[in-house]
Amino acid sequence: MRRVAITGCGVISPIGCGRKAFFGSLREGRSGIGPITRFECGSFAVQVAGEVKDSFDWPESVARVAAVDRKVGYGFTACIDALGDAGMDQIGENTLLHLGTSVETFDLEKLVYKGKLDLEESVRRSLSDRGSLFQVPLDTTARLVTEQYGRPGLTLTNCSACAAGAQTVGHGFHEIRGRRFEKAVCGGFDSMVNPLGVGGFQLLGALTTDNGRGERACRPFDAARAGAVLGEGAAVFVLEPLEKAAAEGKPILAEIVGYGSSLDAYSLSAPDPEGDGAARSMVAALRDAQLRPEGVHHINTHGTGTRLNDEVEAKAIRHVFANGWERIPVSSTKSMTGHLIGASGAVEAAACLLPLLEGVLPPNPCLDKPGHGCELHHVVRSGHPFEGDTVLSNSFGFGGQNATLILRRHDG
Amino acid sequence: MENEVVVTGVGMVTPLGATADETVAAWEAGEEARREPIEALSGVGVTGAEGFVLPRFDASERLGRDRRMIKFMSDAAVIGCVAAREAMNEAKSRERFAPERIGLFAGTGLAGARVREAIPMVEASIDDEGTFSYGLLGERGLAATNPLLSFKILANMPPCLVSLLEGIKGANLIFGPWEGQTGAALVEAWRAVAEGEVDCAVAGAADFASHPATYVYLHHAGLLHGDGVPAPGAAYVILERRESAERDGRKIHGRIAEVKVTTSADTVSDPLVSRLGRTFAAAPAILLGLAIRLGWPEARCVGADGQAFHARLEAVR
Repeated sequence: MRRVAITGCGVISPIGCGRKAFFGSLREGRSGIGPITRFECGSFAVQVAGEVKDSFDWPESVARVAAVDRKVGYGFTACIDALGDAGMDQIGENTLLHLGTSVETFDLEKLVYKGKLDLEESVRRSLSDRGSLFQVPLDTTARLVTEQYGRPGLTLTNCSACAAGAQTVGHGFHEIRGRRFEKAVCGGFDSMVNPLGVGGFQLLGALTTDNGRGERACRPFDAARAGAVLGEGAAVFVLEPLEKAAAEGKPILAEIVGYGSSLDAYSLSAPDPEGDGAARSMVAALRDAQLRPEGVHHINTHGTGTRLNDEVEAKAIRHVFANGWERIPVSSTKSMTGHLIGASGAVEAAACLLPLLEGVLPPNPCLDKPGHGCELHHVVRSGHPFEGDTVLSNSFGFGGQNATLILRRHDG
Repeated sequence: MENEVVVTGVGMVTPLGATADETVAAWEAGEEARREPIEALSGVGVTGAEGFVLPRFDASERLGRDRRMIKFMSDAAVIGCVAAREAMNEAKSRERFAPERIGLFAGTGLAGARVREAIPMVEASIDDEGTFSYGLLGERGLAATNPLLSFKILANMPPCLVSLLEGIKGANLIFGPWEGQTGAALVEAWRAVAEGEVDCAVAGAADFASHPATYVYLHHAGLLHGDGVPAPGAAYVILERRESAERDGRKIHGRIAEVKVTTSADTVSDPLVSRLGRTFAAAPAILLGLAIRLGWPEARCVGADGQAFHARLEAVR
């Protein structure tokens, strides 16, 4: 089996766009969470989120869709950045394009006519105005990328909720390793920072309403954690065979060495309290990497800041790494970015590049005191050096989908 | 014989029948499924605003003690779970394989909750001037909303409900929302079984393209040209290695000799459309299920995403 390298990375996040800005914030523990400005949220119980602050000069075809569904623009930009980073100016038959996200965006305003929900009229208006988007399908970003860069050998849109971003990278890794493609452009994009997204998750009780905490509202593993904070953004990677990339003198950001997935089959919204699904995902990734647990030197958790999720993940980590979890430094970057849902796994894989490339760990700056059952070797302060070479990133999704990636430093 | 991938279970809910047996029998008899005007669109003057309809069936009965979960399900999830249950029962997958060794590889269609489920939320959010207000959505619209609505629009929920009801705990991938994506899920299922990543794969899709809101999008996007009458449908197949099927004495419907998805410049094509409608994401799974049951040598379709699904099938003697 051939080895797989990351040769390009594009990141759009609440703590910076582009690898340099993203790394800078991660390194310093700078939060991108704050009051929601995307819409008037005064009547919502949830009023904080991790918003992308940058503005973008999108092509007209992208800008038109992004006006309704911003995540499409984020995914598009992350793709362009990743391709540019890898020195690619087109996509061809030997390339897999695999992007992940969570849920379609609907424009509810378009359903209302003269004071009532009027589907007939909304249909009439929709049909008379081809520019009027009522529903944005999940594959829109991939379609826009292929219009600009050419058609890949296979285009996939992954919709595995919070596990989507990690699944795309893991699948791309397996496709390159299995010699089915020579290149994979893969990652996740999402934005739920809109009235329906915030409202929907608020209804499910998954988000903190501790709005007064501002940039410290998301507190993974803390005793006072009160729920997740939504974020938005994207991360896309270019994967190639390592030996080929090295022979061509391409910069290699990291090597992907393992991927595993599992299902809880326990509940639609709550994790298996024993952490069985999460543990099996990590074990599958370790097996895939032919790695023993002690070979992992850092973990970036899923760490949402919800009471049950964090406790279950900590339990699963202690179970899988029973002989030494106390020595493995653990970061939780949602404390700074918020939960990017379909993009989270990819953005957190990008966060894993920081220790591998620059030898420093991202912190969990909002952790004051670990909650009951959340005992791990948490990295709280910025500047924590990293001397290992192998990192593991967890992503656990609504519906019970779990995915784990393992990345390794490339010293070639 | 090692690594041969065979089909030992097929489940379907299609406009031609509420089970795989019914669908196969109706197809063999040359029947065409029933289509009706889409009620919510009548009077709008949309040409061809009709959809194929499912035969009456009792999902509660089909799902047994899991009927309590129906309240969490979109219409697509209901028919997906019913189809998956039928396939799992036929292959006796639960009894024969550890949950961790069963994988789930699925396609899912455009989100399409029933419009009436959004009515309380929308109507509570309309201001005095008759326009939709996000301020009022937060103030009273959310309170009027059934919290379960979120579960009905999340794209991964129909397959995840299959996982939950059937106790599937292994490797998984979910793609959407068009035919090529489900085709890719079937390819991944085949590969996972062939390469030993799982011992059994539950693979398929459910879609409910005849929902009014979905119809609007499909029409708007120009995806209902020609005979493209939308239809609801679901199919799941059970894949396993021939060795395990023969060891356990299971009926083998056929062998999948080759399966792939490729970029295609061809126009959309689906051999099932004239008789059971365009089922979009569900089409490759229904096609594969029908083909393997009817002994066709291949299953092929080209989807709205410009990708072709192709499976080469062989009888097993």
